[in-house]
Amino acid sequence: MSGLSVGMLLFLVSVGMSLIFGVTRIVNLAHGSFYMVGAYLMVTLVELLPDRPWAFWLALLLAPVGVAVLGGVIEVGLLRLIYRRDPLMQLILTFGLILVIGTLVLLVWGPDNKSVPRPEALAGSVKILGQPFPAYYVLVLALAPLVAGALWLVFYRTRWGMLVRAATVDREMLGALGVNVAALYTQVFVFGSWLAGFGGALAAPTVAVALGMDGDVLTTAFVVVVIGGLGSFAGSFIGALLVGLLQSFGILIFPAVSIVLIFAIMAVVLIVRPWGLLGRPEP
Amino acid sequence: MSPRTWLGIVVLVLAVAPLALPPFFLQLLTEIAIIGLFATAFNLLMGFGGMVSFGHAAYFALGAYTAALLVKRAGVPLLVALPAAPVAAAAGALLFGFFIVRLSHTYFAMLSLAFAQIVFTVIFKWKALTGGDDGLLDVWPPALLKSPAAYYYFTLAIVGVCVFALHAIVDSPFGYALKAVRENPRRARYIGIDVRRHQLVAFVISGAFSGVAGGLFAFYNGSVFPDFAYFTKSFEPLVVALLGGVQSFFGPLTGALGFKILEWLISRQWPVYWPLFLGGIVVVVIVALPGGFVGLVGGRQWRRRPAAKA
Repeated sequence: MSGLSVGMLLFLVSVGMSLIFGVTRIVNLAHGSFYMVGAYLMVTLVELLPDRPWAFWLALLLAPVGVAVLGGVIEVGLLRLIYRRDPLMQLILTFGLILVIGTLVLLVWGPDNKSVPRPEALAGSVKILGQPFPAYYVLVLALAPLVAGALWLVFYRTRWGMLVRAATVDREMLGALGVNVAALYTQVFVFGSWLAGFGGALAAPTVAVALGMDGDVLTTAFVVVVIGGLGSFAGSFIGALLVGLLQSFGILIFPAVSIVLIFAIMAVVLIVRPWGLLGRPEP
Repeated sequence: MSPRTWLGIVVLVLAVAPLALPPFFLQLLTEIAIIGLFATAFNLLMGFGGMVSFGHAAYFALGAYTAALLVKRAGVPLLVALPAAPVAAAAGALLFGFFIVRLSHTYFAMLSLAFAQIVFTVIFKWKALTGGDDGLLDVWPPALLKSPAAYYYFTLAIVGVCVFALHAIVDSPFGYALKAVRENPRRARYIGIDVRRHQLVAFVISGAFSGVAGGLFAFYNGSVFPDFAYFTKSFEPLVVALLGGVQSFFGPLTGALGFKILEWLISRQWPVYWPLFLGGIVVVVIVALPGGFVGLVGGRQWRRRPAAKA
């Protein structure tokens, strides 16, 4: 069960990363940093807001918005300048951002671990199949499929979603058809950042909010996206569940090799199907 | 002045440096030489082969751990342990590279990163052999090489030989074939170059020299840690090569000089801010200075010969 909720949180982060890659062709290495900022904003907001039952939910709403703004600033201020350059330069740039964001978080929030109290209504545990299970995880389990469903609606039932899907197939053609691709890039980047921030904010009460969380999430989300297929929405879902479950069960069954196992699976996927389980091969 | 004169001046300055500089600066120079070698080896792939590895820390760490383990656990002398470093690194590079060179561009970078994370995790988890998180301590060179000046000369000599060898490789028919593969793999294949084999050989060579750098660093540092294989370490040669300019053979060495001096200046004043500056520098270089520092001062491009007429 906890494996499922870890998988759901991973899904939120990796689907944003995958979406950004699908449209802009940027592997956003700073995505883990967005997740971390989301969690830290959650810490601050919960502290600042008055101690009322609704405060937690308002914070959960606002923290991802803050991350989305950050993503927008980065896209417009930096990434937009280098879309025409070698994709590897964009990769290195987002790596530089990891360092910058990591240090800024250290300066703003300090080196100590933080925690976010779970909302009172969900502080206890519920029994599922006779096993006690933290009630908050039930929320995560319930929210994530909701988000997944909403994403599906957005991508497959709205005009904007259609444009995004078109952009993942052929950006040049979309531009030639008169769509403002630059604006679409920004929107997608902001949306992807929002998803990462939401994942971070939602995860904050379940983990220690600490400085190293950007790298941990980045590597795992990266594995998810690669296994599922870069740019594939359903692939991220399956990849996230797979990795989330593997992490939880792997630690129980073979603790020493569970992480190696995940990377080994990623390596095998890359060797056999470099474009991932549900991705498309590069033309 | 001709390149030969420049080379002479650099060698002379480096040779007399211990007479004028306090030990601290000798250590800084030693570190610059090691990172410079690491970045030059890395740039054989990136600058000349057009392959960007995101996992070169794996080969650096394989070299460092091989040397450290041989000295610590098997008790062999440094002169045996150090040559073993590139052998182990090359073996790792051959094993991983066999799969990695089958992919291209982003996927190449990602698979190299995946393998490096495997190496990192194995080092991190295999406590009995590697000491895990605690690393291996007290990996010092023998008394003869223990003083900063002695280890400085020792490092300088080895790095010098390695850089010379890498230079010869770049300038050999193999090096030219590699550049052909970088420019146009399909065309290279049509004129009879085995593209994958060339890429794999370059990968193994690059891994081996990264292993030398790792081995040298183990004895310089006196200890080895799993961080040596972590993905942030993989970006170090990338950043250094980028700072110096990837189009030139000596770019990464210059970059190492700039990188370490900056690191020293900044982390002495504000240790906390160093990653901020590093990240900021990377961002600025990418956005504003595509040629790196060497490109900035209008340095000569590395032997740009006119393209052969087809």
